[in-house]
Amino acid sequence: MFFSWDYLLQGFVAALSWQNLFWALVGSLLGTLVGVLPGIGPTSGIAILLPVTTFLPPTPAIIMMAAIYYGAMYGGSTTAIVVNIPGESASVPTALDGYELARQGRAGPALGIAAISSFVAGTLSLLGLTFFAPVLASVALAFGPPEYFALMFMGLSLVISLSQRALLKGFIATSIGLLASTIGQDPLTGDVRLTFGSEELIAGVSFISVIIGLFAIGEVMVNVEHAVTHIYEQKKLEWVPRWADIRQCWGAMLRSSVIGFFLGLLPGCAPSVTVFVAYDIEKRVSKHPERFGKGAMEGVAAPEGANNATVSGCFVPLFAFGLPTGPAMAVLLGGLMMYGLQPGPMLFKENPQFVWAVIASMYIGNVILLVLNLPLVGMWARIALIPFPILGPLIVVFSIIGAYSVRYLVFDIWVALIFGVVGYLMRKLGFPMAPMVLATVLAQMLESSFQQSLLISQGSFLIFFNRPIAAAFMVLALLSIGRGIWSELREKGLEVAEEDQD
Amino acid sequence: MKSQRAGDIAGGIFLFLLGVLVVWASLGIKGAPDMRMHPRTLPLILGWAVGIAGGLLAFHAWRYRGAARIVPWPDRAGTLRVCVTLAALVVFLLLVEPLGMPLGSGLLVGFLVWYLGGRRPIFAGVLGVATGGVIYAVFIRLLQLSFPIGPLGR
Repeated sequence: MFFSWDYLLQGFVAALSWQNLFWALVGSLLGTLVGVLPGIGPTSGIAILLPVTTFLPPTPAIIMMAAIYYGAMYGGSTTAIVVNIPGESASVPTALDGYELARQGRAGPALGIAAISSFVAGTLSLLGLTFFAPVLASVALAFGPPEYFALMFMGLSLVISLSQRALLKGFIATSIGLLASTIGQDPLTGDVRLTFGSEELIAGVSFISVIIGLFAIGEVMVNVEHAVTHIYEQKKLEWVPRWADIRQCWGAMLRSSVIGFFLGLLPGCAPSVTVFVAYDIEKRVSKHPERFGKGAMEGVAAPEGANNATVSGCFVPLFAFGLPTGPAMAVLLGGLMMYGLQPGPMLFKENPQFVWAVIASMYIGNVILLVLNLPLVGMWARIALIPFPILGPLIVVFSIIGAYSVRYLVFDIWVALIFGVVGYLMRKLGFPMAPMVLATVLAQMLESSFQQSLLISQGSFLIFFNRPIAAAFMVLALLSIGRGIWSELREKGLEVAEEDQD
Repeated sequence: MKSQRAGDIAGGIFLFLLGVLVVWASLGIKGAPDMRMHPRTLPLILGWAVGIAGGLLAFHAWRYRGAARIVPWPDRAGTLRVCVTLAALVVFLLLVEPLGMPLGSGLLVGFLVWYLGGRRPIFAGVLGVATGGVIYAVFIRLLQLSFPIGPLGR
């Protein structure tokens, strides 16, 4: 993968042509729209809109597809913040603090910070993509199944520690999340597990249904119970972030850019993982970690930044090796191949104008999205003014659509409803929900990489400790678990933990 | 079950039983004997984990003698509202395939807006029709997603 200033400048000249600018704008708009619609995440957004791009030449078509992708990433946070519906797993950490801020009348500032953080992290990570891609691409190749398993194991242990003083309940939530994902077919052998004779369970449990149930339906039930008139406690709403908010979030934006970009380089390391890692690290470095989950602005900035930075990171292995790091990238790869473009080192030699125009268009797309999204913040935040007896049923219906549109199975809506009840009970009994969500998302990859690792090592568990990268992640994971147990013991056992939890 | 202690005891026992059920079901999973990791291994480990953690939760809650913390369970009116909303969702799920997504969603929204907000039936009905219309126009006609369409497809 070659870098030259000439190519980059030529790329900007091409990307700034009125035609490419127009399609980047259309892509950003469409992407934001599909991101806001429940259940249509970036992957299905690109897949649905792929045919729309077929009448275009390759460069504007790919520019439009990339714009749809990061537009959808932007849009996904909106429903998470405003109505607590994270339409995809990557928006879950944003919902944790974003919705709390919205309830305090600060939906506008939270949406503004989400847009600014996405812009900052998106741009910084693009610099990484532009200048360091050749070196970084080799990082992706150093990752095999043991490294993936160790990374995901570390992710889970970090998230269990998010539950702080309810460690046992965090562990239970994680186990239940993993258990829900083991229902259905074994990822390697295809053996049917825990279906209790039900044919519908063979297809497994969709994690989108789990997320929608836990967050959206569970929250609606709490509001229905209390007969609330408006979902937000504060009637007085703020529309834009203050300078103090932006200053407070600078560090989070920078850190999440780095975390998101580097983790995004790894195949399989989707935004759904990186956002949790960024959120957890932000909580750890914060002077006031107790504010997280109760409306910390950094709790919005960090996952939103990591989300967009991961997108740029994902383009490195895609362009350098033709290696899609996730489903959305696989659809984009399909788009490239549709135009006869084969990603890999030869793409940079044979079609430098194309590659650099796409990279340059991403810088411009980030600016377009910021300009497009900031003025819309007020419009989205005004949803709060709709009385809950009207808004609640609409949230329920859009949650149903979100759960159904993943696989077009009514069974998935049943799953969302069941997890809605589970989420309601978890709220009442003080169980943390984030570990369950991450476990559900990671379970299949975790198990596959574990099985593949054991195949490589012929059954020896030492493979996770005699490869340096895997060993580093495992040590970090064990330290995190040890730290959690130590904190728990320091709090004089579970009794104190339960009492302090609220 | 009004206190956190009672809630944790009940929850812990439920999780313990769930763990036992999962362990029992896992033992019945078939798989090739020469596998490095049998397909039952993960569910089995998780069944044990949930069962033991549930037992621990119940045990610690049972031993807890500190100040009682009250779980904010709903009052009678709140319970009724939650149950009626859940029942409406169950009825919707049973009828969504014959009625179709636009009509089913419209009826669900209309009913819940009327029930939860005490709105006039006409207002609730208009909102229901509008919801169904948006779903039909955006998701079925524009995005062409394969939603059950019910009588509207005839």
